Amino acid sequence: MRNVTCFAVVLLAVFSSFAAEEKGTLERLFDPMGFLKPVPVSISGFSGEVDSVLKNDLLFMGVINVPVDQAKYLVTGSNGSRVEGGVTDKVTKHPVMPRKAYTGGTLRSQTHALADDIAQALTQLPGIAQRKITFKTHTRPGAKEIYIADYDGHNVKPVTSDGVNVAAPAWAGRNILYYSSYKLGNAAIFSQNIPTGQRKAIANYGGSSISPAVSPDGSKVAMILSKGGSPDLYVSDPDGSNLRQLTKTREAESSPCWSPDGRTICYTSRERGGRPSLFKISASGGGGTPIPTPGAPIPSEPDWSPNGKWIAFTSLIGGTFRIFITPPDGGRVYEVAEGEDPSWAPNSRALIFCKGPDGGKRLSLLDVPTKQTKDVPRVLESNSQPGWAR
Amino acid sequence: MHMKWTKFVSLLAVLIIAAGTGCKRNPQATTPLPGYGKGSVGPERPAGPVGPGITGENIDGIPLPENLKDLLADPNQPAVLRDNTVYFAYDGADIRPSETSKLDAIASYMKSSGNKAIRIEGHCDERGTEEYNRALGERRALAAREHLVRLGVSGAQIDTRTMGEDNPAVPGHAEAAWAKNRRAAFILLQLPGGVGATNPQ
Repeated sequence: MRNVTCFAVVLLAVFSSFAAEEKGTLERLFDPMGFLKPVPVSISGFSGEVDSVLKNDLLFMGVINVPVDQAKYLVTGSNGSRVEGGVTDKVTKHPVMPRKAYTGGTLRSQTHALADDIAQALTQLPGIAQRKITFKTHTRPGAKEIYIADYDGHNVKPVTSDGVNVAAPAWAGRNILYYSSYKLGNAAIFSQNIPTGQRKAIANYGGSSISPAVSPDGSKVAMILSKGGSPDLYVSDPDGSNLRQLTKTREAESSPCWSPDGRTICYTSRERGGRPSLFKISASGGGGTPIPTPGAPIPSEPDWSPNGKWIAFTSLIGGTFRIFITPPDGGRVYEVAEGEDPSWAPNSRALIFCKGPDGGKRLSLLDVPTKQTKDVPRVLESNSQPGWAR
Repeated sequence: MHMKWTKFVSLLAVLIIAAGTGCKRNPQATTPLPGYGKGSVGPERPAGPVGPGITGENIDGIPLPENLKDLLADPNQPAVLRDNTVYFAYDGADIRPSETSKLDAIASYMKSSGNKAIRIEGHCDERGTEEYNRALGERRALAAREHLVRLGVSGAQIDTRTMGEDNPAVPGHAEAAWAKNRRAAFILLQLPGGVGATNPQ
C-alpha cells in the first residue's frame, strides 16, 4: 500500500514536471496595453511563395521571424507537392506543434492553414489567415460592387454585379453577407448567401435603409433606417422581421457594430450641442450613452474587437482620417494608423482598413501592437469598407 | 379641422426654426475641444433659447411614404426643382437662411397641384467616413423635407434618398467643390400609370 502511494507521488511529480515544462514552453508575454508580445521564431525549410506567405501571415498573428540565435521556437517544414510544418521549442526540443502535412486546395491555401495552426499553438489566439475579407470597389461612376477575397487580397471574387451603388458589406458567419444596395431604388438592405447566390431584401422602406451589422451569434441585425422621419438605429431578426426601433433622435445615427457578447451596440450620433460622438446602447433597448474619445473628434465607423477589449474607429483630424482604438468605456484613445474604416481580425490584434484619396483608396493590414502594416493588392479602382469574417 | 392642423404646423415650424437657429452646430468640429471626454458630456456652448416643451431632440419625425421609393425620375424635370438645390454647411444638416427662398419656391410648385411626388436626394462632400456621410446625407434630405412640410406640402408627396459622398456634383478636393457637393437635390418622380406626374389630365 505504502509502495503504491509512493509510486503515485513519483508519477505525480513526473507529470508535474512535464506540465511545468509545457507551461514554460508556452510562456506568453504581454505589452502594457495587454497585447501579446510577438513570439520570436526561426523559420526554415520553405521556399518561394510558401515561405513569403507563411512569414507574412505570421506577422499579423503575433509571431515574428528572427535569426535563429534570437529565436525561442523553430518552425521547420517543407513545400514539395504539399506543405508540411511543425514547431519545436529551440531549447527543450519539445514539440509545441507536432509536424502536420496539408492536402487539398492550393499551396497558398495550405500555407495559410499551416500559419493559422502555428499561430494558434504559439499564441493561443484564433488564426486569421483562412478567414475571408469583404470590401467594396468602384467599377465606374455611380457603380460599386461587393467583393470577397483572402485576407491578403488574393483569390478575389465578386459578390454583386448590379452596376449600382452598394455599401457597407457585413459578414453573418462565413457564408452570408449583408449590405446596402440601390438596386431597387432607395438604399435597401440585402442578405446574400455567397455559395448559392440567393439573396433577399430584408429592409426596404421609404427613405434610406443602410449600414447593416450582424450580431456575433447571427441572431440579430442592427441597421439605420430613416422610415420614421430621421435616421435611427433599429434591430431585427436575420430576415428583417421583428423590427424594433432602439433610438429616436433628430440626429443621424450611423455605422452600428456589436459587442462580442451581443448585448451592446456601439454607433455614432451627436451629443446635445451637436458634437459627433460614439454611443453605446443595450441591444434590448434603453437610452444611448456617449463613449468619450478625448482627442479623437468626429468618431465614426466603430468596430468592437472579438475579445471585447477595444473599439477601433475613425476620427477626422485636420482633414486627415486617423484610426484610433479605445476601451469600450472610452476615456482614453490610442492612434494606431492613418486611414479609415477599421475592421478587426478574429485574433483581436490585426486590423484591415482603407487609406488614400477618394476614388483611389486601397486596403491595408495592420498589426496593432507592432504597428507593422502591409498594403493589400487593389482590385479595380478604389477599395473601401473592408470587413473581416470572424 | 384642416385649418387648425395648418395653424398648429405653422406654430410648430416657428418654434422649431427658433430653436434651430439658436443651436448652431460647430461647423469646424475637427479639433479636440477642452474638457472633451473628461466626464463632461454637455454642450460646449449654450444651446440658446428653445420653445416651451420643445427641446429640439424630441420632435417626432414625419414618417416617409412607402410607395415612392422605387419610382423613376420624370424625364421632364421642371426648372423650379432643378435650379433650387439647397446647400449645407460643413457637417451640418440645418436649413440656412440663405436657402429658405428656394424651399418657398419648391413648396409653391408642389402645392400648385396635388398630384405630384418628389424625391429629395441628400449628398455630402468627401470629408467624413462613408457611412457617417450616408446618414448625414439622409439627414439633409429629411431637413429639406421637414421644411417643405412646414410650408404646407404633404409628407406623403416627398420621399428621401441618401447618396452619401457617392455622387459629387463637382470633382475636386477643396472647399470650392465641397460647398457644391453638400446639397439636397429635388427630383420630380414619374407616378405610376404613365407620363402624368406633371400633367394629371
